[in-house]
Amino acid sequence: MSNNKLTVVDREGKSRDLEWEPDQTLMEALRDNDLPVLASCGGTASCATCHVFLADEVFDTLGERSEDEIELLVEAEGYRECGSRLSCQLDFTKDLDGVTVTLAPEE
Amino acid sequence: MPDLQPGINNGQPVIIVGAGHSGVAVAAGLRTRGWVGGILLLDGEKETPYERPPLSKELLKSGAPDESTVLRKEKFYQDKRIERLAGITAEAIDRQSRTVVLSDGSRRGYDRLVVATGSRARPLTVPGSGLPGVHALRTREDALDLKRALVAGTRVAIIGAGYIGLEVAAAAAARGCKVTVLELQDRVMSRVTSEPVSRFFEQLHEQNGIRFVFGAAVTAIEGQRRAERVVTADGTVHPADVVLAGIGVLPNQEVATEAGLECRDGILVDGEGRTSDSAIYATGDVTRFASPVDGTSQRLECIQNAQAQADRVAAHITGQQPAEPEIPWFWTVQHGVRLQTAGVRHPDDDVIVRGTPAVGKFAVIYLRDGRLAAVDTVAGLADFRPAKKLIAAGALIDPALAADPRIPLTDTIPNDPSLTDADLVSARI
Repeated sequence: MSNNKLTVVDREGKSRDLEWEPDQTLMEALRDNDLPVLASCGGTASCATCHVFLADEVFDTLGERSEDEIELLVEAEGYRECGSRLSCQLDFTKDLDGVTVTLAPEE
Repeated sequence: MPDLQPGINNGQPVIIVGAGHSGVAVAAGLRTRGWVGGILLLDGEKETPYERPPLSKELLKSGAPDESTVLRKEKFYQDKRIERLAGITAEAIDRQSRTVVLSDGSRRGYDRLVVATGSRARPLTVPGSGLPGVHALRTREDALDLKRALVAGTRVAIIGAGYIGLEVAAAAAARGCKVTVLELQDRVMSRVTSEPVSRFFEQLHEQNGIRFVFGAAVTAIEGQRRAERVVTADGTVHPADVVLAGIGVLPNQEVATEAGLECRDGILVDGEGRTSDSAIYATGDVTRFASPVDGTSQRLECIQNAQAQADRVAAHITGQQPAEPEIPWFWTVQHGVRLQTAGVRHPDDDVIVRGTPAVGKFAVIYLRDGRLAAVDTVAGLADFRPAKKLIAAGALIDPALAADPRIPLTDTIPNDPSLTDADLVSARI
């Protein structure tokens, strides 16, 4: 499977394009491209240091968030009921080719 | 030897000894922070560096693949020009010539050295500890050995009711083993949590068929050719086909001790991760340092510390500012129920239970001199992030308000006009 294109808006508002590889979660694609995503729990929806925003229309196409993910996100800086996700919980899918992801503020 | 200036590379690489969470985080952090010099990562294990937390959780599940979750993909090390030597350890450090002697006999010079050798399972020392069938759990190989041994119907004796012992107990029970947990103290996880949380998890384990024996001092493991039973000080004999010791860890500090670095049950480091030699740092489980909260000397065996120290070292080597460290936090999952802790509790903290353990979801907060010091969340994370912020701010908490789980933790700061310091305000988010 070919890579996805991914546009990331960092915390300074700067955009950057990168490749999202099929065996990466979104968090791994961000982290392995040197974006400042701490991801301290290693992708187990425990720490919420990989919080990102997605556009409404993209968000709506994603699966339901787990209870843990919601509880962590609700308390996160800048939480959006529609738009906030933990990037470690988003697996690669071709549906997300070309998506734009915005890093949530650091706490 | 030239003087070391932060951010200046004198031509030799940074050598990192150990490729666990912290060692890999140092390597990655150096590149993220723009280090252009060489990075040599000595990895005592052969395979791609991996996450350890799943070894006692997901990996042991029936039907779970034996593959481990890697910290970074193999390709990452090539892309970032991190030279990883698999199966190679550091035999000795020659501080005079800034050289490391590797286990293959070769020598490599360094500009800065980072000791991230981690910890190992504390070995049992009672007679019979070396019998086949006696396990420890630290590496992927340990986990796979154990997984193969946890066959349905097997009698499993677990020595120590800490995170590792209880996670394995849960996995073994789920695989159909008959599990007995032998614990010296009078409750589970007594070092890390309070009685209400211990009791909750004891019940959970008992409901899943696990038997506890408290006050159990193991005196011997007996068997003809392999472990057959565990004997405790009162003479009780516990038949067992598989024995797992989960009795803590020891820091892998020997290479540092032999090089004359200051060690005391851990390599001593300052707030920047520096050892007593300014060219040598240490990070992660192997270190001992003064708690930024109260100055007490501590080792912190957790991912958060492995990562925060790694960042501080990478920042110091590159002459940059480190990120603000997270509050230490820990997690364990037993029978699918997550216990997640932020902050480091003291036994004499005031304990306030938020919610009803009987319904299976609650939190416990710990107050020290009226300020939030730690939190345990059970089967829910609603209080976790607010608590981390309040702990960082040293926020005062009204115990009466906090006892009501319907009141968000951030609204339990007392309404006292004298409490207007900046910390408290910032804690109100």
